[in-house]
Amino acid sequence: MEGEGGGEGLNQAVQQQLNLKQVKTRAISLFKAISRILEDFEAYGRTNSTPKWQDILGQYSMVNLELFNIVDDIKKVSKAFVVHPKNVNAENATILPVMLSSKLLPEMETDDTAKRDQLLLGMQNLPIGMQMEKLKARLDLISAACEGAEKVLADTRKAYCFGTRQGPAIAPTLDKGQAAKIQEQENLLRSAVNAGDGLRIPGDQRHITPAQPPLHLADALPVIVNDPTAQPQLSSNTMPAQNSLLQTSSASQLLGRSAASPSGATSTTSFDNTTASPIPYANSPRSSTNMMNTPSPQPQTTQQQPQVQQQQRQKLMQLPKQQQQHHQILAQQQQFRQSAMQGLGQLHGQHQMQFSQPLGHQQFQGRQLPSGHVQHGIGQSQLNQGNQMTRLSQFSGPANSALFSAAQTTPNTQMIPNISGTLPSQSLLQRTQFGLSGNNPQRSHPSQMLSDQMFNMGGGNPGGMMPIQQQQQHGSQAFGSMASNAQNLQSGLVTLQNTQQNHPNFSQQRQQNLQ
Amino acid sequence: MECVVQGIIETQHVEALEILLQGLCGVQRERLRIHEICLKSGQHLGTVASEVRLLCDLEQAEPSWTVKHVGGAMRGAGAEQISVLVRSMVESKTSKNALRMFYTLGYKLDHELLRVGFSFNFHRGAQITVTVSSINKMLKLHATDEAVPVTPGIQMVEVTAPATAETYTEVAAAVSSFCEYLAPLLHLSKPGISTGVVPTAAAAAASLMSDGGSTTL
Repeated sequence: MEGEGGGEGLNQAVQQQLNLKQVKTRAISLFKAISRILEDFEAYGRTNSTPKWQDILGQYSMVNLELFNIVDDIKKVSKAFVVHPKNVNAENATILPVMLSSKLLPEMETDDTAKRDQLLLGMQNLPIGMQMEKLKARLDLISAACEGAEKVLADTRKAYCFGTRQGPAIAPTLDKGQAAKIQEQENLLRSAVNAGDGLRIPGDQRHITPAQPPLHLADALPVIVNDPTAQPQLSSNTMPAQNSLLQTSSASQLLGRSAASPSGATSTTSFDNTTASPIPYANSPRSSTNMMNTPSPQPQTTQQQPQVQQQQRQKLMQLPKQQQQHHQILAQQQQFRQSAMQGLGQLHGQHQMQFSQPLGHQQFQGRQLPSGHVQHGIGQSQLNQGNQMTRLSQFSGPANSALFSAAQTTPNTQMIPNISGTLPSQSLLQRTQFGLSGNNPQRSHPSQMLSDQMFNMGGGNPGGMMPIQQQQQHGSQAFGSMASNAQNLQSGLVTLQNTQQNHPNFSQQRQQNLQ
Repeated sequence: MECVVQGIIETQHVEALEILLQGLCGVQRERLRIHEICLKSGQHLGTVASEVRLLCDLEQAEPSWTVKHVGGAMRGAGAEQISVLVRSMVESKTSKNALRMFYTLGYKLDHELLRVGFSFNFHRGAQITVTVSSINKMLKLHATDEAVPVTPGIQMVEVTAPATAETYTEVAAAVSSFCEYLAPLLHLSKPGISTGVVPTAAAAAASLMSDGGSTTL
């Protein structure tokens, strides 16, 4: 639900352009594939079985390629949503994590929730319109209280300053006009102190003061009735101008003082501005919460494409197995050709001895003894043939039917691993191992007895074609049914080679049957 | 020879400056009321005009007279780099007959002014005198009782220290370092270079006055 809401919050055009849904789906599929691979590794560890490295390497290649593609797509997505701070210094280093975070800190979220609940206390049941109206009324009350407080503070400040200093209120900030006036007064004051500018008295006023000099000058002044020294001063005409300048500066001073009042109001305004400045800062983490909606729409696409991904995955899994199957078929064909050439090119006796020596199979040598014995006694062989025919008829019915039905019911998926198991059998050591391990089952298994009888009958009556043909048909069925068991197939192959070597005609017919 | 710097301060902050100077100097202030008479020689006494100031201290029970000659300021690259003005200055105590004598010699009255305020005299690296005074103009000759301020809302602050040709560098350094302590309330500079008022003077004065309030409590 939250994901869908977030998806609706984002711009649809942005979603389509960035292909967020597909990226999210592919990322989830990759995660599942990796999880499955890890589970397989755990299974290998538990069962102590040898992993199939060819399959594992194939899966690794697939995962690596998919990861590369996803990273490449995420780079495109990041261009629109990633922020890189460029001017980081000691002043803003501590605040950057909060400013760049995509959501509020846990404690900030807690405070925000608590304040929101407190603000909407008693109004959650009302419709949004009424809630807004009540909040506006509350804000108006707060602003009125603030204005009243500001007025009280201003009045108190004025009264306090006026009372303590018995003078005009302090002007915290000076405007340009007032600064210019102060500059002018400073220059005037400095010139008066250092050069006496503005301190000289016009000549016409000098006659009055000698009549009543101050006490400290009563005895200091010379006693001269006539002041001839004062007369040259009369020629000076700069005094009236200086007097007028002095009066002008006094007037400007008064104006400057009156100008101080609006500067007080200006300071109040600047205080309001200072109060307002934290508001954008407080909104910064909240505005960044809009980015929380960015990853939300991705979960929506999970349900749409997983089937396609699974189908693709199945196809990938099927390909290697088909190749393996083809490889196994080729191996079998080569094996049959080699055995045919050997049968045609060598004598029966010599080949028989050579065949037994490399295997070193005691059971195989045991089979040779009854064969020699049969060749020496013709009459006994006929009796044995009759007994064997009866025995064959007894085993052929239930055994062949059971094996044949078992072969039919076996699913194809089980056939493939068995075929792959025959690949190691190409080497002699592998063949010997399988033979040794199959000693006990072969002796008690009906198929083994069938092969023994075929061998004996073939050796006893080389001239009788009809009985031999019937036996061949039974043998082909037996070989077909033994395909379901790797060990039985191995023993069948050994018997097949032996038969082909004894009778070249058998090998030709066998190849035709297989084809 | 003396080192001197001047500055201005608004009359409303003079009380705070007094508190600050009281704390920095560690001595009691001295009230100031000086009638300063500037006399100049005429052409007949030489090719170059000469200027002499007679200072009469009216705060004393008996008026005290001082004659003072302020000469030229030091010039050169070194003088430009120093933040205080180094100028030649000679002063001497005299009797009340000095005015009559200078009149007899041929000097004539150029202008006169009345200084009213306070001063602090203390030793900090050098013998320093800080004078805060209102400069008043007399509308009638020698009418000190009827003097009016030249700039009613602003007062003059002077920091002076006597020096010799060999020690003026140390004295200049002492005066400069002391002026740094007054920076929150006012800026001081050489005579002739204006500084204006300090933007932080109001805040500094308020804090100093509040300290005064706490002292009262």
